[in-house]
Amino acid sequence: MSQAQLTSKHPLRRTWGVIDLAGYLITFWGRRDLLWHMTVRHMRGQYKQSVLGYAWAFVNPLSQMIILSFVFSTILRVPTDDIPFPLFLFVGLVPWFFFSNALTAATDSVTGAASLVTKVYFPREVLPTAAVITKLIDLAIGLVILAGLMAYYGDAPDATSWWFPILFAIHLLFVLGLSYPLAALNLYFHDVRFLVGVALTLWFYLTPIIYPIDIVPQKYLWVFDLNPNSLFINAYRRVILYNEAPGWDKVIAGLIIAVVTFLVGYYLFKKMEPGFADRI
Amino acid sequence: MQTESDRDEIVFENVSKRFQLAEGRTLREFVPALFRGKAWAEPFYALRDVSFSVGRGETVGIIGRNGGGKSTILKLIAGVSAPSQGQVHVAGRVSPLIELGAGFHPDLTGRENVDLNASILGMTGREIQEQFQPIVDFAELWDFIDTPVKRYSSGMYMRLGFSVAVHSRPEILLVDEVLAVGDAPFQEKCLAKMHELQSAGVTIVVVSHVGQLVRQFCQRAMLIQNGRLVIEGHPDTVIQSYEDIYHPKELVV
Repeated sequence: MSQAQLTSKHPLRRTWGVIDLAGYLITFWGRRDLLWHMTVRHMRGQYKQSVLGYAWAFVNPLSQMIILSFVFSTILRVPTDDIPFPLFLFVGLVPWFFFSNALTAATDSVTGAASLVTKVYFPREVLPTAAVITKLIDLAIGLVILAGLMAYYGDAPDATSWWFPILFAIHLLFVLGLSYPLAALNLYFHDVRFLVGVALTLWFYLTPIIYPIDIVPQKYLWVFDLNPNSLFINAYRRVILYNEAPGWDKVIAGLIIAVVTFLVGYYLFKKMEPGFADRI
Repeated sequence: MQTESDRDEIVFENVSKRFQLAEGRTLREFVPALFRGKAWAEPFYALRDVSFSVGRGETVGIIGRNGGGKSTILKLIAGVSAPSQGQVHVAGRVSPLIELGAGFHPDLTGRENVDLNASILGMTGREIQEQFQPIVDFAELWDFIDTPVKRYSSGMYMRLGFSVAVHSRPEILLVDEVLAVGDAPFQEKCLAKMHELQSAGVTIVVVSHVGQLVRQFCQRAMLIQNGRLVIEGHPDTVIQSYEDIYHPKELVV
């Protein structure tokens, strides 16, 4: 560690200004080695004790896709125009799984590292961040299945698919922004993890994943306009399945939502951080 | 009131640490308490108005009974916990030797855990590479470094934890009573290593409820009792009054 990082200030004695916040983010960036090692630790731990190991990361999305496809295209017949329903569904489901798994894991990340948090100081945001990054493996596996599905239906990737990583990067920032305060609040109230579970279930049905946004009655559309996940998932579908650019207004709206969520979430996290070790 | 000088590495100014005991941890407990409009629980002072400073390269022992506030002091120095009142200044990289191997992940190998633990302690990738062999050599775990640490004996576990901590180039080393465990030859090796760090100018804070380690190792000692700093001075004097308080007359007779 360089001399400049040695401070006569207690790491938990904070001042709050724009420059300070930038300073905390720079310190965080300086610890990216730690972030990497922590992520590897999570990845190793995840399926270590199971017989099928990483195969589980395939089983969950596949089984969900099959059952949801059966229920919503064979029984309920949700209209998806000329796009095969499993494909339509999966483009929304894969990012949703990432969102949901990442948020759940991040909420427990600080409470789960009690033995570390009470012993050594390091920027605590490493913990939820590593939890979120770990779930990128599940996302990658989901994308592999999606590619297989597209090949099966003879749907070549559209020219607009290059938007996907950009949109996802914005989405990722949004997920991180939500993760920080949830991870911190979970230390103060253990109810938070249950609340997150309930909220995610409701959020799943209020996001156009198993149905297209077009069949939502006009008078309820405002709910979807307020839902950032709706914005992201509609954009994923446009660029991957409909060969349409997401529209600059959507991209900029998503970016603003993500950046504000990240900054507010990070601020709240750092604000609560001094109490962490006392709360575990 | 003490002021911070260039040579002081750790300064406590009138530090108090308050805990809420039996705090409401779920909303079911919290919400009613909010409506009743009173504090959730009685506060408990783990430290009250403690002031001291430790100079660069000094070795200081903190003695006192369990629950007296020693561990709280270490947590404040480690930057894990924040003072409720007063100021804590710490200048330098802190390596806590509290509960060795706390950050080890049982499924990871020794090697992977060295990487993880060393980066938790603030070492960069390059420093870890440079120090890797010395860490393994010191812990004497050449044959087991690629074995998951859940297969380690508790002694091996601690050896690796201690080795990582002392090789993390600390400027301030915090030592809890961990040295009391482990077999005798390794204990001696640990003590020798700590003497080496001592002569290299590392500031060391030792916490103990037994006087032995403090007597043979520290230049200065402090007695903490019920959250207050009672006496500060030469280890022999401080240990004497500690024994007078807790092991009264019959031991002398």
